[in-house]
Amino acid sequence: MEPVLDMQLDWMDQQGSWGAAAEPSKQGLTLADIQVGAYGDVPEESDNMTGRPRGAGARPESYRIGGYSVRSKHEIWLENASFLYEEALQRQWSSATDVPWDSIEPLPDDIEQAECQLATFLTEVEFVAGDVPARWISQTTPDYFEPRNVLLAQVMDEARHMDVFRKRALANGGGLMGATGGTAGVVGSIDLARDFTEMSSRLHISGEGAVLTIFRMGELMAYNEAEKAMYRLCAQDEARHVAFGVMHMRYMSETAPERREEIDCYLDEAERQILAGSQNPAGAQAESSESLAILLGGGKDQYDEGVNKLIAIRRRQLQEYQKRVRSAGFGERFDNGRSPIKEMLAASAA
Amino acid sequence: MVKTAAKTDSKTKSKKTTARDTVASAAEVPKPGYHWMNRSNQWDTRVKPGKHGLRLGDLNVGIYGEIPEQWQDQTRNPRGAIPRKGVPPLGYSIRDKADVWADSAADLYEEAIQRKWAPATDVPWGTVKPLSEPLERAICQVLTELCQYANCDVETISQWQHQMSYGYHEVKQYLATASFDAARMHEAFRKRALCNGGGLGLEGPGEVNRMILESRGGWSEAVTYLMLMRGTFTMTLLRYLEKFAYNDAEQSIYANALQAKARQMTYALEHLQYSIAHDEERKAIMATLLFIGDRIWEREMADHVLREALCIVFAGGLEKAPDQGYAIYQKMQRDFMRDYVGTCEWLGIKRDPAMLPEAMADYLEAS
Repeated sequence: MEPVLDMQLDWMDQQGSWGAAAEPSKQGLTLADIQVGAYGDVPEESDNMTGRPRGAGARPESYRIGGYSVRSKHEIWLENASFLYEEALQRQWSSATDVPWDSIEPLPDDIEQAECQLATFLTEVEFVAGDVPARWISQTTPDYFEPRNVLLAQVMDEARHMDVFRKRALANGGGLMGATGGTAGVVGSIDLARDFTEMSSRLHISGEGAVLTIFRMGELMAYNEAEKAMYRLCAQDEARHVAFGVMHMRYMSETAPERREEIDCYLDEAERQILAGSQNPAGAQAESSESLAILLGGGKDQYDEGVNKLIAIRRRQLQEYQKRVRSAGFGERFDNGRSPIKEMLAASAA
Repeated sequence: MVKTAAKTDSKTKSKKTTARDTVASAAEVPKPGYHWMNRSNQWDTRVKPGKHGLRLGDLNVGIYGEIPEQWQDQTRNPRGAIPRKGVPPLGYSIRDKADVWADSAADLYEEAIQRKWAPATDVPWGTVKPLSEPLERAICQVLTELCQYANCDVETISQWQHQMSYGYHEVKQYLATASFDAARMHEAFRKRALCNGGGLGLEGPGEVNRMILESRGGWSEAVTYLMLMRGTFTMTLLRYLEKFAYNDAEQSIYANALQAKARQMTYALEHLQYSIAHDEERKAIMATLLFIGDRIWEREMADHVLREALCIVFAGGLEKAPDQGYAIYQKMQRDFMRDYVGTCEWLGIKRDPAMLPEAMADYLEAS
């Protein structure tokens, strides 16, 4: 005779709130659509140490698995995380098949070398942007899974960026060149941030913001359709990462005003690094700035023309940075003399 | 006209001059030295796309495909590039190939990218129709525990990923897709739980999650618990749930989740095999880990909540859950034990039934 289970069913009375009937919107059933009833209540402080999905019934005897250091909403939250995550899902692309590699033709040696040096540098940079968010994901309570999901999408995006630049370096008779070490873990670098917002201000707003400007100018330095596609697709991803940083900083500024001065200090630091810093491809580091100037000018013999375009890119980096920081709610630093950005813009226009 | 940087004496630099330097940096570009030119470990590399495009694995040509047994470089030097001297290390703790490698990592990465899906739009949510309350409660309970499994995947992988050195970037890249897959599963399971008049269930006991997250002995230990043990069970569970799905939406969710899990299992088995092949003692360590893990596993499986919920799902409701549903549940556990022990033995780890916890041994014997 087959065994029969003695059912207790007590758990049916201990489940989360009942009656949730989320409906798909015109973009499908998005994360925003399932913020229904209690499931849309995001706690200001999370006491969830068991990895319980937000809104599920709690078991008093459940093991504490989470050594989460990020348990305050203002430390990581942003209003549009659901949107950014869904967009990341919709805009997944493949460097193997979405980049027309066959469009690459042999280039003059100086241009190919510049392309390969820049690709080597960008591979290093993308390594940072993959490693660092991953570290913060495991430290964030699952009650804030929406921003965590955006960061997971970012880690995936960066893996793809890393791979597309490596592919470019090895696809056209060149190779990888010298690493710059520009992403070393020194005080003030993205790696060594002790706080999520500190990290985000460096990674998303300053670092990726500077790279985004360059990717957006990709048309100016691309020599074939493959490179154009590469920069365009990467720019699309970077724009989401930058938006994460801006929206998070805005949320932090609105909900934790006591931290504004501290955030301004991170921005001071970021601004000292934004152009001179070794993580900015258009910065002072010879490997990347010289390669960019060669690519922008059209060869070593037109280096000066390339430099003029490089300075134009720097201007644009500063203008876009300023807009982002204003949008995040820290615009007064540009009006009260705290930030050198205005002077930098004036110097670059001279 | 190119503006050149003014020379400064670093010893006399004050705060003021530093600020001035920052401002000046916007307009200055040093005269080119081109010292970086003509520096490559291997030039003339021309990798061509194949019929599946230009894949990550295609790049492993010449020195770029030389994957060292140990990677001492703790910077972000891309494999094959010329390292720069004097760069402060970042403290990567996983620097041995045997601790992380699987030959298929590059292919799994490309496959994960090709098989993209978005739960918002690729799941036919319109096919979800009202179900009896006990059945809906049971489905929601199972999905809640699956959300926790996915969360455990996310937290485990992301806590190790950044500790892996860049000599083995293919693995890091595959794992980036694996943690993203887990996020997508978490999302899809949650969406299903909240779209049909139900809600989330009661959280799981969490003892196995704790065991996985507390794998301090290295990434291979985490892979043993997260992928070999929990992964085999999750695959079995998803296969059954796909078979007993109540609509196309559920079927689609479970089928997509199965694909991601299958990639994870491929990586895991290949990695563990590679690891054992390079250090025989690892086999004994894994046997010890599994001996301990089995007892924790059995305790968690004794929890009546998931068992009862699955019996209801498999029986289509409460009425036949205690007999018909339970019979299917037991078959699922037998399948799991067969696959789990079979995989261990494929890896060369003998599992003596007499050393297994009683319930697991019974399922194995009946399988």
